[in-house]
Amino acid sequence: MTAREPTARAVERPPRDADHWARYVETLEVSDVPEGAVNLNVEGRRVVGPLQGFGKMWQKTYRVRLEGVDTSSAEVVRVWKERFPEFWAPGNRFFVPSVGLSPGGVALINGDMPGSRWFSTGIMVLYADEDSFTYITPEGHPFSGWITFSAHNEDDGPLVAQAQLLIRANDPLYELLMPLGIHRLENTTWQRTLENLAAHFGASGEVETRVVCVDPKRRWSRYGNIRHNAIILSALHAVARRLRRLRARPAR
Amino acid sequence: MSAYDGEELPGSLHAMRADFEGVREMTRERREDMPQAQVTMDVRKVSDDVSVIDVKGELTAFAEGVLMDAYNQASDGRVRAIVLNFEGLEYMNSSGIGLLVTLLIRVNREKQRLLTYGLTEHYRNIFQITRLDDAIGMYDSEEEAVRATSA
Repeated sequence: MTAREPTARAVERPPRDADHWARYVETLEVSDVPEGAVNLNVEGRRVVGPLQGFGKMWQKTYRVRLEGVDTSSAEVVRVWKERFPEFWAPGNRFFVPSVGLSPGGVALINGDMPGSRWFSTGIMVLYADEDSFTYITPEGHPFSGWITFSAHNEDDGPLVAQAQLLIRANDPLYELLMPLGIHRLENTTWQRTLENLAAHFGASGEVETRVVCVDPKRRWSRYGNIRHNAIILSALHAVARRLRRLRARPAR
Repeated sequence: MSAYDGEELPGSLHAMRADFEGVREMTRERREDMPQAQVTMDVRKVSDDVSVIDVKGELTAFAEGVLMDAYNQASDGRVRAIVLNFEGLEYMNSSGIGLLVTLLIRVNREKQRLLTYGLTEHYRNIFQITRLDDAIGMYDSEEEAVRATSA
């Protein structure tokens, strides 16, 4: 019943997972902006995990059985990473960084969201190994948290591809929009992604969806996250751009 | 296969019950098919209100059952702080970090505190980048961590 004496730490050598994790950065930096991409609401933002958000915490799991597919889980994940934008649901554009989806890489997302046509945000690749990869979101993204894409062999069963989110709505506005469309949009996005991935491998399994509220409490101390809201800032940016264009137009 | 699918009336009793039943069912199902847990977790009670869990091995999705069993054992009685000893942590992936988040939610729900010690520089960086360090105290030694529980 007493505290154990501190033990001498083993000599530190690089752990096996050392290359799988992104290095710590205070704020995100977009090193290269692909042609046609809008770099807004990402540069200079901090990443946020499920503890930094405002709304209820959800664990959403989408999985599809790749029946009859004769390949390895590593191959499924490799292809998923390589062709991520193709498998993603239409309506949004995902710009893979030049370094690829490797740990620390920052990808830009431009797309449509309720109330904002020019919605811009992004993600950082938090973790990647041969069987999985994980994105973490920046401040202002609808969600605060991460999403892990993986593939594994079920016992005596087929390969399974899975997307699992552990998220909260980032601020009160997003929390309000969750039951008004964001939940549904999120479900549709990852169900279609998995259908597209399965189709690529010639499978047509049905996507199973499991949604669990991990923490029903809202974190009111985080209401101020709304200052980074990417929908609001994207809309303001679009208005400002239009005004600048009007001003620049020569008077007749 | 949905435990709980779709939207609900926020805060309703029915929705909350469904949430907790969903978590319970999810945990039970996972425990049934997790033969690959490469981790052991021994529980020590260092005082009436502080328990230490010695984590040895790999913290991945397969460790969920082991971690939750250890927590149930550790939080028996009047325990108000759980200290995770990570001196024996050999490997952790993003699912492992997710487990710590769900553990933290459970710990907070029981009005307990969660602290850690023995993290190497590498794993401290992971706690920082995932911002777990905002909510889980990191200490160099067990003595410091236990002392912090009474602060």
